Amino acid sequence: MQASRARLFKEYKEVQREKVADPDIQLVCDDSNIFKWTALIKGPSETPYDGGVFQLAFSVPEQYPLQPPQVRFLTKIFHPNVHFKTGEICLDILKNAWSPAWTLQSVCRAIIALMAHPEPDSPLNCDSGNLLRSGDIRGYQSMARMYTRLAAMPKKG
Amino acid sequence: MDDYMSGSEEDYYYYDRESFDGLENEGSESQWAPSKAPSCKVITKESLLAAQREDLQRVMDLISVREHHARTLLIHYRWDVEKLIAVYVEKGKACMFAEAGVTLVGAVDLDLPESSSTVQCNICIEDVLLSDVSKMDCGHCFCNNCWTQHFIVKINEGQSKRIRCMAYKCNAICDEAVVRKLVSKKHPDLAEKFDRFLLESYIEDNKMVKWCPSVPHCGNALRVENDEFCEVECSCGSQFCFSCLSEAHSPCSCLMWKLWTKKCRDESETVNWITVHTKPCPKCHKPVEKNGGCNLVSCICGQAFCWLCGGATGRDHTWSNIANHSCGRYKEDGEKKAERAKRDLYRYMHYHNRYKAHTDSFQQESRLRETIREKVLNLEARDSKLRDFSWVTNGLYRLFRSRRALSYSYPFAFYMFGDDLFKDEMTKKDREIKQNLFEDQQQQLESNIEKLSKFIEEPFDGYSEKQVMDIRMQVINLSVITDDLCKKMYDCIENDLLGSLQFSIHNIAPYLSKGVERAAELTIGWSTQAGCNNRCQKADDQANGGTIESDQPSASGTSDDSGHSTWKRARKESVGGGLIDLNLPAEFIDRID
Ligand SMILES: [Zn+2]
Ligand SMILES: [Zn+2]
Ligand SMILES: [Zn+2]
Ligand SMILES: [Zn+2]
Ligand SMILES: [Zn+2]
Ligand SMILES: [Zn+2]
Ligand SMILES: [Zn+2]
Repeated sequence: MQASRARLFKEYKEVQREKVADPDIQLVCDDSNIFKWTALIKGPSETPYDGGVFQLAFSVPEQYPLQPPQVRFLTKIFHPNVHFKTGEICLDILKNAWSPAWTLQSVCRAIIALMAHPEPDSPLNCDSGNLLRSGDIRGYQSMARMYTRLAAMPKKG
Repeated sequence: MDDYMSGSEEDYYYYDRESFDGLENEGSESQWAPSKAPSCKVITKESLLAAQREDLQRVMDLISVREHHARTLLIHYRWDVEKLIAVYVEKGKACMFAEAGVTLVGAVDLDLPESSSTVQCNICIEDVLLSDVSKMDCGHCFCNNCWTQHFIVKINEGQSKRIRCMAYKCNAICDEAVVRKLVSKKHPDLAEKFDRFLLESYIEDNKMVKWCPSVPHCGNALRVENDEFCEVECSCGSQFCFSCLSEAHSPCSCLMWKLWTKKCRDESETVNWITVHTKPCPKCHKPVEKNGGCNLVSCICGQAFCWLCGGATGRDHTWSNIANHSCGRYKEDGEKKAERAKRDLYRYMHYHNRYKAHTDSFQQESRLRETIREKVLNLEARDSKLRDFSWVTNGLYRLFRSRRALSYSYPFAFYMFGDDLFKDEMTKKDREIKQNLFEDQQQQLESNIEKLSKFIEEPFDGYSEKQVMDIRMQVINLSVITDDLCKKMYDCIENDLLGSLQFSIHNIAPYLSKGVERAAELTIGWSTQAGCNNRCQKADDQANGGTIESDQPSASGTSDDSGHSTWKRARKESVGGGLIDLNLPAEFIDRID
């Protein structure tokens, strides 16, 4: 069996076991394609994303885990390191700092950490980055909260 | 100066010694600070390993590390051992290692209890036998399968030199022995590639080592010791500027040469007419072909004129007349009506014309080699007391060498006194003074070169012994003079012209009387002198004995007599092969083919 397939299969089994252990992450493998995954992650508390549930799409390369998976937000999110239109994520571990020791699960954890600690100096979303850099934390937070409410929360009623 | 007429051998040699003193000094280091004399080594495919090992060994000995750590450190510091030592002394071992990605103590110890015969690999998440895992120096341990895959990906990505550990944020560089072992099991050809990359890093990441630019490539690299601004000759015969890898171009700086060659390419159409092989006689206007190396030509009508400017040199022209003829001097003419573009083109053509005239003379003079050889043979066949004709070949060599310096001094002057590079660095007045100073020197050199050329061209093999001795005197004197003038011109360029610039830094390769330095073979077994620094050249010379000595005659360390004879031997050897390899401009070589 292909190394990447074997590894993904292992991860799949791990995920089933950890489901209870990590209630913030729900990783699901595409029924017909083990190289396509989606994840639902909970916005971390004490952030403008609190209360939101964000959907991520994973596309895993053949060379995985020697090469990183491609991940993007499917849910709209206002965050300095996420491209507002495409949902692309600017995160070092998804690029040159990737290590084969990472798993899809640990990538989700890293993304949650990024939501709590934005890096305004490498922004993919310039507006949000500028708000943060100019010190307008309240402006950033209210925008982020608004989008969380609009896009990441189940519609009430 | 009557000695040479007396018949005894002793006198003859006495004379020989005396007259050659000036020439002998050419190679002497006393004239060049040792730091200025670049010493160059050829690194062949075979000696590359030894060259690299030498530096590795030094680092291994100095800071007691294993080979792959030494290599990682050296790659990080671009094979600059001095720099590495400086960092080591300044920042300490720990900091230097961290910067370069060398981990000596296990940062994370993933050792599992001995009893367990299997261990889980964090990459494939499989349980694997302990015998099937490898642990790096950093302590991270993964299964051999995963390591192998990782190495293959990295080698294919061209990252052989810095394959990092697979663990997250682990900066450690993988042990090359493990890489080699694991990869060669699956892909022997890739393991070879890995080794080649490592080996070539010594050339590619090293400021002081460069591939020879010959096409097709000779496979060699050259290593200089002190100064990257020098001109070198590879053992394959190609000569080049070490700094920019184009043809040897001093006293032009690399930037000037780059601009000049581009300009010549771009404007070659415009100035084609100027490089035709004939010029009209100023008197009868018939085209006159230049047939000798010197720049005084004469028409069949009897008119003599200067090839450079086409101006008549008078009925009773002599060589001293040509010397006074102010031809190398270009006067920025005050024609205010002429548009600027036209003036620029004129200015360019003036310099290009002179540059071209001298490179062309070069071509003519290289044909002289054949005639010279014949003349020497004729003289040798004569039953005469004259035995030593090295003055002929030495004179010819000097002629080539100084003609070359002169021809490249025109593009230099074009940029030095033009508006392209240093317009804001000199006042108009300042520039004018400097230009006059320089052109005086250039002109002196030019006229002496022409004189030397004229004497060498004479059919002296048919002359009487007395006449031959006269010519010999002239050639020897003029050789010394032109060499000296070249030296002065370089000095002036380096110190008074380029040295006085405030903002720009232009370096030129130093003037070497002997011409471009031929790189010596790097002798294998060098590494036995471990601890000897690159810079202790004297120790090298001694260790390598005669090879280096004849290659780089040095006044130091050898007695006068042996030094003299060594020099002479080297010179005589160069009569056969050496002179052919003189640094001719590329375009000349092109034309020969
Ligand atoms: Zn593994
Ligand atoms: Zn490691
Ligand atoms: Zn070569
Ligand atoms: Zn150069
Ligand atoms: Zn004529
Ligand atoms: Zn002539
Ligand atoms: Zn002239």
